[in-house]
Amino acid sequence: MIGYTLTPEEKDLIQGQYYTPYQFLNCVQDINGVWFLFLSDEDKPEVAESQYYFILDLPEAEYIPPTPPPFPPTE
Amino acid sequence: MLFPFSFIKTGGFDPDAQAFFDRVTTAGGSLTTTEKNATKTLVADLKAAGLWSSMKAIYPMVGASAAACAQNLKSSSFTGTFSSGWTFASTGVTPNGGSAFMNTGLNIGTELTQTNSHASFYSRTASDSGAYPTVIGAYGNGSYTQAIDLYIRRPTPGDKGGGQLGSFTTSVINYTETDARKFAILSRTSATSLKYYTTGILRDTNTTSDTTGFGSVTAYIGAGNFQNLSAQNFSILQCAFASIGDGLTDTQASNFYTAVQAFQTTLSRQV
Repeated sequence: MIGYTLTPEEKDLIQGQYYTPYQFLNCVQDINGVWFLFLSDEDKPEVAESQYYFILDLPEAEYIPPTPPPFPPTE
Repeated sequence: MLFPFSFIKTGGFDPDAQAFFDRVTTAGGSLTTTEKNATKTLVADLKAAGLWSSMKAIYPMVGASAAACAQNLKSSSFTGTFSSGWTFASTGVTPNGGSAFMNTGLNIGTELTQTNSHASFYSRTASDSGAYPTVIGAYGNGSYTQAIDLYIRRPTPGDKGGGQLGSFTTSVINYTETDARKFAILSRTSATSLKYYTTGILRDTNTTSDTTGFGSVTAYIGAGNFQNLSAQNFSILQCAFASIGDGLTDTQASNFYTAVQAFQTTLSRQV
């Protein structure tokens, strides 16, 4: 899974921000704590038209998800 | 040529269907004639079966856009919002399994009664990914109890469908699934009746008493909302319909499947 990588400052700038009236940006951390943003093909032109267009120029990298905690948690 | 008034065709839709179409248009979305007709019939079928009043939120996932798919067919409340990472198509909406979810805005703690509740999801994808993907999730506390958790083919502990409407430590259903392409309903009609249906057929029941209640947290589609703090358990199952509401009886679950399957068939996206 390839995504855009962000600095913590960039993540704070965009997290939860709306790029259309019904769509907002959601970042997640990888196994090493690096922030990633994933955009679908439909998202990209919408983001390009928003004030967050700079995201599309951020470096991309392979995302490795963090190890999930036990779920449901063991008693 | 003049006709008596009784012969004049109004050509109008059911008021609830028309209100939904208006909301889609106002939001900037659009629907095809086929999508409108299918939705109109769905509303009529749900009303005829006595299901309409049991619904709090119905997401038909028509219109192939965030603006259209965010709209609740039942009412102007609980209009959803999508995170980045969704794909929108005439066949439904697909999350990316890593970061995408839809926030329904429906607070399960204030809008639902835990002992009389349901969640449903129409999946057009055969297999899910990750350890614990959920298709409709809201975890009211740090112990993942006081929760809604519907999954259709969760890889851990081994291709299970079902979930919880309350506490997993008290009553949960884990029914073995080999294909997630189906309409799944998780329904609780009392403290001692949690049932899981697919394709309208009762698959499993848990009769352990569960009155744990629901926490104050909004329901997500495509993932689970952990205490309004973060999204977890991301799914990749394509959603062609979802609902949240009151508990459904066996007969209602069967009629619900019939109505939703007819809706999907009209849209040529049935599984």
